[in-house]
Amino acid sequence: MLRMASSFPEEVLEHVFSFIYDDKDRNAISMVCKSWYEIERWCRRRIFVGNCYAVSPPMVIRRFPEVRSVELKGKPHFADFNLVPEGWGGYVYPWIAAMATAYPWLEEIRLKRMVVTDEALELIAKSFKNFKVLVLSSCEGFSTDGLAAIAANCRNLKELDLRESEVDDLSGHWLSHFPDSYTSLVSLNISCLGSEVSFSALERLVGRCPNLRTLRLNRAVPLDRLANILCRAPQLVELGTGTYSAELQPDVFSSLAGAFSGCKELRSLSGFWDAVPGYLPAIYPICPSLTSLNLSYATIQSTDLTKLVSQCQSLQRLWVLDYIEDIGLEALAAFCKDLRELRVFPSEPFAQEPNVSLTEQGLVSVSEGCPKLHSVLYFCRQMTNDALATIARNRPNMTRFRLCIIEPRAPDYITLQPLDDGFGAIVEHCKDLQRLSMAGLLTDRVFEHIGNHAKKLEMLSVAFAGDSDLGLHHVLSGCENLRKLEIRDCPFGDKALLVNAAKLETMRSLWMSSCSVSFGACKLLGQKIPRLNVEVMDERGPPGSRPESCPVEKLYIYRTVAGPRFDMPGFVWTMDEDSALRLS
Amino acid sequence: MELQLGLSLSTTHNPIDGSDINNKEFDPKEILSLKPWSHDYGCLLDKKRSFEDAFGKLKDASQTLPLLLWSGHPNDEDDDKREKKRLSCRLSKIHEEVLEEDDLVVGWPPIKSWRKKMLRQRQGGDRIVKNRVAAAADGKENNGGSNSMYVKVKMEGVAIARKVDLRLFHSYQTLTSSLICMFDKSLQLEKDNANYTLAYQDKDGDWLLAGDVPWQTFIVSVQRLELLKNGG
Repeated sequence: MLRMASSFPEEVLEHVFSFIYDDKDRNAISMVCKSWYEIERWCRRRIFVGNCYAVSPPMVIRRFPEVRSVELKGKPHFADFNLVPEGWGGYVYPWIAAMATAYPWLEEIRLKRMVVTDEALELIAKSFKNFKVLVLSSCEGFSTDGLAAIAANCRNLKELDLRESEVDDLSGHWLSHFPDSYTSLVSLNISCLGSEVSFSALERLVGRCPNLRTLRLNRAVPLDRLANILCRAPQLVELGTGTYSAELQPDVFSSLAGAFSGCKELRSLSGFWDAVPGYLPAIYPICPSLTSLNLSYATIQSTDLTKLVSQCQSLQRLWVLDYIEDIGLEALAAFCKDLRELRVFPSEPFAQEPNVSLTEQGLVSVSEGCPKLHSVLYFCRQMTNDALATIARNRPNMTRFRLCIIEPRAPDYITLQPLDDGFGAIVEHCKDLQRLSMAGLLTDRVFEHIGNHAKKLEMLSVAFAGDSDLGLHHVLSGCENLRKLEIRDCPFGDKALLVNAAKLETMRSLWMSSCSVSFGACKLLGQKIPRLNVEVMDERGPPGSRPESCPVEKLYIYRTVAGPRFDMPGFVWTMDEDSALRLS
Repeated sequence: MELQLGLSLSTTHNPIDGSDINNKEFDPKEILSLKPWSHDYGCLLDKKRSFEDAFGKLKDASQTLPLLLWSGHPNDEDDDKREKKRLSCRLSKIHEEVLEEDDLVVGWPPIKSWRKKMLRQRQGGDRIVKNRVAAAADGKENNGGSNSMYVKVKMEGVAIARKVDLRLFHSYQTLTSSLICMFDKSLQLEKDNANYTLAYQDKDGDWLLAGDVPWQTFIVSVQRLELLKNGG
């Protein structure tokens, strides 16, 4: 029998495959034929699991025996906003335990929204001899003791990034566990930690790691120590300052300014907690070469912010508080022609009245002036359909558009109409839109626009919107590339879900909370569609104790090949074939 | 057994409303569709009207469940649950629960918890940072004043740490016995619970036994406390 596969020796194919990194491409390769599947699986080095419950560790290990880099995501996105109760899940320990034996040469672990314990960190530290990269993004469950284990044992560690994780901060001593012989640090992000690390230990660490390019300090590092640190790392590319506040003292200022000037490679700045305007000029010399600036913790007002951004002609990414106001955004539009991403956060999100003059006009200005702008997150207090339509026409290259109007269900403040047409314009003009979060008063019509136009949309977030199931039906039936849908406080019930049940298997996940999906519909979905986990979260007690027509509090549906999970807390139930028995 | 949800098509999904449960019009098993519904089907346009007729419009968009402030307020009924949560909570979560009081609606506006924490610390933090800086500049200036002086306290063998305001104490003895009482309240301590030693971490990061320096000196330099069990 003619064997086509043997016309190319395996080694050659493997060599060719080694140039292919993208997951989707790798998946495509593996589907060409059985022998390509076999070759590919033995040489895949990096895996990404977007939902840690979609597959089990043994399944992954069985298929891919030689992995060096793992990325896992746990909790649903709405966990960021406290909508997922504590104890829901997302535990990484079972993965680490399985990989400890299967992947002794594992080098990289990247986790997002997972529960990571000290035991897990200790296991990592002791199991992987060539461990290099640990990124814990929005994780929780571990303390600085776990970090100490990593610091003490991972001789080849290059990257330790704790971005936005909740760490039980017992002391800053863990940093001192990096041995004196350790010099391989490339990236360190401890900005989420509260306690002080030993400054001398930090300075020595920085001084002996010549490849250090990213250093994000925490708030506890005072401004007068920053210059010393910078002087030891003039090769830094990315810096997060500590507290950027001190009494104005000329010698502190001049050493700081000198230290910044010495950092010729610096392209990204963040930190700036409690920033005082007096010290901002210290960074002016490097502003023209900055590509990324995160001022979202800086309490500086629009005049100083305007002066600052006006000097950042190379800026590509700006994160800032709404202190920048419309006037600062106009300056941004005028001076920062390379801007690609803008995020404006609210300085006083819970105040009833606006505290700053930031309106829809600011965003319109930036959309006009910055031709490369494609990613927006904007918190404001008023919006109009006209403004949204203008933004859409200005920026058809928009790929991520997230708007939040502080007041739920706020209409167009001039016409008092819903914002359906404004968002309709966004999806109509921005044909490559991948991510959308909507805000304001919205009827079923906006969902009709989305279903009709948003063909590349992958992630949609909806809150306090819509009138009926028709809205949800438009989205589920129209958005061909939809992967993640998260909905809260919308009057969507059973029908749209049941009619579009098959769609759910083509998506990563669906979250619905405070909607009108009944327990009965959840059971039906769970029973009928085997490769979905339909999880009901209800802190009122077992859903079976209420009528079947009763809406569930929270619903999380995700596709999986691993079957129902067994690490759920008491307030989560999986609907499947057995649920009828278990819940009665 | 036929599954019948008994949803009334034109009313809101109010769980309390038991009236008018109309089984005939809506059998979910019939409409449970295992094939993807193509939005571009021409016949959909015909069906659109009947879809609307059949499913109607909900009268009031806000007829949903009351939002539960799960992370939040004192509630006698939930004591057991909250106790369980506290025992597995980190201190930062406890702190966060207190902070949630400002939220009128859970998780709204959609700002990450970490950012919310930063915002609040910023508002309170200005004073603390300024005073620390002032203290450093002026030597051992009295920076008690109107500031609270919260430090974290950990008891050896206990998972969760606490926070205490040192301004409320005047001596090592009152501090130590109050701390033991504080931990005692939520846990069953073993016998001989008086055998704890208080240690603290000073400004330079060193751990020292409390009691060696005068109280005032201690107050200025203490960063963190720990209660250690005697006899190992």
